Amino acid sequence: MPPQHPPVQGPDGFDRLYRDHVDLIHRYAYRLCGEAESAKDLVQETFLNAYRGLKDFRGEAQVSTWLYTIASRACIRMRRKRKGEPEHELSLDEFVPTSEGEFRLQIPMDGLSPEEALQNKELRQALDQAIEKLPPQYRMALVLRDMEGLSAKEVGTIMGVNERAVKSRLHRARLFVRRELSARGITHHDDHKSGGLRS
Amino acid sequence: MTKKKTPAKEKPSSPSSHPHTHGQGHCLDLLKQLSAYIDDELPSDICREIRRHLGACPNCEVFIASLQHTVALCRHRPVPPLTSADRLNMRRTILDAANAR
Repeated sequence: MPPQHPPVQGPDGFDRLYRDHVDLIHRYAYRLCGEAESAKDLVQETFLNAYRGLKDFRGEAQVSTWLYTIASRACIRMRRKRKGEPEHELSLDEFVPTSEGEFRLQIPMDGLSPEEALQNKELRQALDQAIEKLPPQYRMALVLRDMEGLSAKEVGTIMGVNERAVKSRLHRARLFVRRELSARGITHHDDHKSGGLRS
Repeated sequence: MTKKKTPAKEKPSSPSSHPHTHGQGHCLDLLKQLSAYIDDELPSDICREIRRHLGACPNCEVFIASLQHTVALCRHRPVPPLTSADRLNMRRTILDAANAR
């Protein structure tokens, strides 16, 4: 992405910052939190912290990277406060299939685009639940890389880790979600055709 | 799927030229590199080796397809948009909190 100028300081700085980035940060917050009210709380916390830090922002990073970083830190603080959610590591070993059946588990979407497949409410809920179950540092890597479309380098800057760590977390997060989705045995074909599970 | 790599296009190796014991060696090595493979981050010779393996191993081919589907679903996971009222209310709350100090 190109550098975002002019800088956001000045009397109208916050208004411009908010107007230009609230939708971006809301989308990120919703993807991290998985539901509307928590996402709004996170957006507010992010922009409150940005408001307070605006005078110190020198524009070394892109504004969006700065806001993603503030939002990520705020998210971790808020989750710890609410859920006491412990950090835990996902080991690659736990995703090694131990049987032929496990290797061949499939995600039920053949022949459909991802948008069409996600019209299946059961599949959409399974995806939401799988992402929600991810430990925060893995969820963040998955959301920033696969949903927000940032590079591994940008994700590393936001999360305060190197690219290697980002790629490792992303891979494990994907394997986790894949296992959760494929193990559900969602019967998507008939649901999709009948429209019975669409919301 | 939007990925340009389609393992099936690579001519499969015959089982006799690549003895394959599923669940060992190649399969486990492949599992560790799958994300780098689908993100086009691996050198071409390793990609070629992986495609050759996939052509000979239906289980790994199914596995990688399911991982690609997972990534595609994540990319298209819908997010409800903010309403104008939401934007205004949140802005007011933020500024109230900022000025309350």
